[in-house]
Amino acid sequence: MILNNQAKLTKYVKAAGCAAKLGPEDLTNTLSGLYAPHPNVLVGSEGSEDASVYALNETQALVQTVDFITPVVDDPFVYGQIAAANSLSDVFAMGAEVLSALNLVGFDGCHHPRALLREILEGGRDKVLECGGVVTGGHTIETPEMYYGLSVTGMVHPKRFWRNNTPRVGDVLLLTKPLGMGILSTAIKADLLSDAEACEAAQIMAQLNVHAMRALRPLAVSACTDVTGFGLLGHGLEMAADKVTLCIAQGAVPVLKSAKTYADMGIIPAGSYANKSHVERFLTCKDDVDITLFDAQTSGGLLVALPEKEVRQSIAVLQDLGYVHTCIIGEVLAREATPLRVV
Amino acid sequence: MQIDCRNLECPQPVLETKKALESLPEDAVLEVLVNSVASRENVMRFGKNSGCEVRESVQGDATLITLVKGYGCDIVPSAPSGFLNKTLFIKDDKVGEGELGGMLMVGFLKTVLEQKALPSRIICVNKGVLLTTAPEGSDVIAVLKALADKGVEIYSCGVCLEFYKVQDALKVGVIGNAYSTIEMLLNAQDVISL
Repeated sequence: MILNNQAKLTKYVKAAGCAAKLGPEDLTNTLSGLYAPHPNVLVGSEGSEDASVYALNETQALVQTVDFITPVVDDPFVYGQIAAANSLSDVFAMGAEVLSALNLVGFDGCHHPRALLREILEGGRDKVLECGGVVTGGHTIETPEMYYGLSVTGMVHPKRFWRNNTPRVGDVLLLTKPLGMGILSTAIKADLLSDAEACEAAQIMAQLNVHAMRALRPLAVSACTDVTGFGLLGHGLEMAADKVTLCIAQGAVPVLKSAKTYADMGIIPAGSYANKSHVERFLTCKDDVDITLFDAQTSGGLLVALPEKEVRQSIAVLQDLGYVHTCIIGEVLAREATPLRVV
Repeated sequence: MQIDCRNLECPQPVLETKKALESLPEDAVLEVLVNSVASRENVMRFGKNSGCEVRESVQGDATLITLVKGYGCDIVPSAPSGFLNKTLFIKDDKVGEGELGGMLMVGFLKTVLEQKALPSRIICVNKGVLLTTAPEGSDVIAVLKALADKGVEIYSCGVCLEFYKVQDALKVGVIGNAYSTIEMLLNAQDVISL
C-alpha cells in the first residue's frame, strides 16, 4: 500500500475517525425510551447492539446499520476503504452477510477538489465488492467537515445471528485486530507518523472483518461485537452487560508498537479519555489500566466469545486469513463485583 | 515561558508543548495552560515521558501544568559510607602483557585495599574471572578475600566462568549475569576499567 498524503484529508477535521464519536454516556441518555418495541424487530436500539435485525419471515431477517467517520488518513481512496470497512463491520459483527450499501457523504468542498470525492467513493466500492455486496446509491451534502460512510443492508437467519451481550461463562475472548488506531489517526493528523507506520495502521483499518466472521461462523460463538469508537473496554462493558464479568489480561491485548510510542507522547484523542471516564467505574484492576485499552478504534477487529477448545484451531485459521495479530485476550467469568476486570 | 493551549483540539496542545520545550534551554520552566481532561492528561504524559518534572495546579476553569525541563539535580544512588560509588570493571587477569601484567594486577588490587574509601564493587568478565578462580592460597585470592571482607561486592561473569571451565573453582564473590552487570555499570557514578 502506498499512501497519497497530498490530499491532507485529516487536516481539516477536528477529530479523526471514531475518535470523533459522541461519548457513550451522551448517547445512552439521549436515546433512552425513544423507540417502542416492534414484533418484527429482533434487535433494536435498546441493547446497544452493532446493527438492527428485522425479521422478514421464518428464515430471513434484514440486518441494517449506518455509520460514517471523519478522515483517519490523508489518502482519499484508502479513507474510502477504511470508512466502508468500518460501516460494513457492524453487519459482520452480527454474523451476517452484506447485500447492499448506500453512500453517505458530507463533502468539504472548500478544501478539496471534486475528483477527490470520486476517489473516496472508489475506495468504498472496493470494500463493498470484496465482501460480495453492491453499492446501490447514496446521498451527498456539503459540510464544513468531511465525513463518509455507508448505510448497509445485510441478511441473516432470524434464529442464527450473533448478539453482542450474550457471552457464555467459561468461554474465552478472542480479538482479531490490534488496538491503537485512535492514537495513530490522531498522530497522522499531527503529521507525526512515518509512511511505514501510517501504512501499517491504514492496512489494519481497511481490512474487512468479513473473512474472520465467515471462519468463525460454524463455531459455537456465544457473543460477538466489533471494537470501534468506545474502545476495547467500552465494547467489553456492553458485552458483559449485567450478566457476567469479562476478565481481560492487559499484557495479552495486541497493541501496535507505534501506538504505544505515540501514547507515551500524549497523542491520545479526547474520545479515548471520554471512554475511560465512562468505563472506569465498572472496572476492577490492581494496577493502572493502559490508556490503549480505552482507545477509540476505527474499523477495529472482532471481539468474540467462544469455547476454549474451538479457539486454538481458529487462531491459526484467522492468522492465515491475514488477521495476524489475532490472540486470546481474556475469558468470561461468572459475575463479580464489576462487569470488567483487568489483570 | 507560558503557553496558552486552552480550547485547542488534541493533539495541538502536545505539539505546542513539544515545540516550546525544544526551544527552551535545559532546566528551563514551561507553563502550559489547558482546559480539557484530554489536553491535561496528554501534556502531563508527554512531559513525564520526556524526562520533565511535572506539576499541575488548578487555575479557575483551567489547569496550569508546570514542566521543569531536564533534571534539576543528578540523583546518584548513594554508596555506603567508606565506599566510593565506583565500580572496577576487570576484563583480564593481567594489566598489560606477560608475567609483569599478572604482578601489576595483584599489586594494583593490594593498593586498592589500602585506600581509605573502597570501590563499591568489582566486576570480573572474560579472563578477569581467572582472578576470582585462582588457586587457594595465591596472593590474588588473599587480596580479593580481604576486599570482600571489607564489604566490596565481587561479581564474576557466569558465561565467562563456563567458557574457561572454572565455574566450580570460584573462591570469592558471587556469579553475576549480563543484566545485573550492565545495570551496575549504568548505575555506578564511575566505572574504572582494567
